[in-house]
Amino acid sequence: MVLIGLPFVTDSRSFLMMLTQIFIFAVFAMSYDILLGYTGIVSFGHCMFFGVGAYSVGVMMNEKGAAIGSLLLAILIGMVLSALLSYIVGMLSLRLKSHFYAMLTLAFSGLLLVLAEKWRSVTHGNDGFTFQVPELIKDRTVLYFIALVIMVLVYLGLRRFIHTPVGRVLQAVRENEQRTESLGFEIVHYKVLASIVAGITASLSGSLYVLTLRFVNTTVFSMDMTLNALLMTIIGGVGTLIGAIIGASIIEFAHHWLTELAKFHPIFERWIIFFGLLYILVVLLFPAGIVGTLRSKWHKYRKARPQDTDPSGVSTESESQGKKVNVS
Amino acid sequence: MDGVINLLVNGLATGMLVFLLAVGLTLIFGLMSVLNFGHGGLFAWGAYGGVWLYGVTGSFVAALIGAVVIGMALGWMMERWVIRPVYGNHVQQILVTLGVMLVLSEMLKVVWSPNPLKADVPPLLSGSWEIGSVILIKYRLFVIVIGLLVFLAVQLVLKKTKIGLIVRAGVMNKEMVQALGIHIRTIFTLVFMVGAGLAALGGALLAPYSGVIFSEMGMQFAILAFIVVVIGGMGSIQGSMLAAILVGLSGSFLAYYLPELSLAGNMLLMVIVLLIKPSGLFGAKG
Repeated sequence: MVLIGLPFVTDSRSFLMMLTQIFIFAVFAMSYDILLGYTGIVSFGHCMFFGVGAYSVGVMMNEKGAAIGSLLLAILIGMVLSALLSYIVGMLSLRLKSHFYAMLTLAFSGLLLVLAEKWRSVTHGNDGFTFQVPELIKDRTVLYFIALVIMVLVYLGLRRFIHTPVGRVLQAVRENEQRTESLGFEIVHYKVLASIVAGITASLSGSLYVLTLRFVNTTVFSMDMTLNALLMTIIGGVGTLIGAIIGASIIEFAHHWLTELAKFHPIFERWIIFFGLLYILVVLLFPAGIVGTLRSKWHKYRKARPQDTDPSGVSTESESQGKKVNVS
Repeated sequence: MDGVINLLVNGLATGMLVFLLAVGLTLIFGLMSVLNFGHGGLFAWGAYGGVWLYGVTGSFVAALIGAVVIGMALGWMMERWVIRPVYGNHVQQILVTLGVMLVLSEMLKVVWSPNPLKADVPPLLSGSWEIGSVILIKYRLFVIVIGLLVFLAVQLVLKKTKIGLIVRAGVMNKEMVQALGIHIRTIFTLVFMVGAGLAALGGALLAPYSGVIFSEMGMQFAILAFIVVVIGGMGSIQGSMLAAILVGLSGSFLAYYLPELSLAGNMLLMVIVLLIKPSGLFGAKG
């Protein structure tokens, strides 16, 4: 509710812009969470899909001119390409252990980055290019609402997805791959499906991202984008879509804040170090992230109240929390 | 013909550098089944440490040894503080080692500078030999020799010594080794340190080879090393050697004849291997 009213209260364009970016990164982080949090696969190349979505909008707007029709078509093209890409990468590597997917996605995204740098006639390399956006979304407030609505829709859509039978199977894969396989599920197909859903959603966020900037360059394919998703999902809480949204807000706010601090001491320019250390600590100590940890505390509290102490109940709870990212 | 020999030497030298990075990766994976995504960071630290020490001491040997020591020290810290708590949990390992990579390469920018640094070839190894019309660059030959020596040394240690026996036994069956009264944790730490030291050695050797070092180089080479490990088969040292040479050669020949395809060539190689034999050339299990 507050978020809907906000544009009418605040005048600060940069603040509005930051919130818009948070919504967009929240979509990106949620798409990553489908892989990491719900299926238990680690991808280090999630920026591929983000970049594909970003460039399909950028190139289309540049070549065909700014119209709503071509924008929608561009977003669609980005999604289709991402789906194809995730299908190919998934089919190649998801049959194997989790390491392979992590390595292959890293290698593929490296390849795409080089490709984007070299294919200058279309991408303009690292210099990038600016482009016109349709009249309607030139207004920052409109864009803000579009991003907000899309974030909510994606949240609802993905929540629906994880409660479908397919989503349930994915979570079973996360908890115990062998057992799920022995129940007769062809897990490769489910994993590939998860990666396609994640890829399409990430592509959407990439498309929106460049719409806010009206500019696209090869950084959309860089490792930093993948790291963004990773940090947001891990710190917010894996396996909870809300966690991805909270993680996105925290990282974006902290990023802005630390860049401000760089005026006082140059160490803050290296803000990635702080995030990196925080990230390592979260993975080691709170593998369930902020939301997961709070949720388990809350459950423990509620459980402990009615029947005083119930050690067995508490231990199963902490066990299931520990399992959130426990997949071998 | 001369061009071909040059490309051959080039490719072999690059292959050896990638091998030094990949051998640590594959050794650690084989024994501990930890895939270390921070390996590239150790490599970059080796490069920076080597260049810095060479500048300070003026001795290239001291620089190489210093780089290995830096690598081993970082490896020790990493194994103890970061990897040890997450043994047996693959997803957490992958995530946490990537975090280490991030911190290591950002720390480089703090300790040295965010700008690329120049690295010189030591005078003894600079220049080239001319045999007829073939020009052999000394430093590249030196890199190839060191790579081969490391390969032989690793093989010798693994095959002929007691430590090697324990490590090979640990690769096969950790629990059994432990049951025989050997402290496998200590062996893990040792192997991790050796792997890290080898990565740092690779970095220190790379610096004069490419002439310039930068903080993102770790990631770049790590991608190559991953490709090599996948092609060669995870955990196989001979496989890594063969794959590193393949990747090095295909890189140098493609860069000359089909420059657009140079990175794509490696990927293509990997995709073909994955389609035909997903466990890699020498891999036992997938």
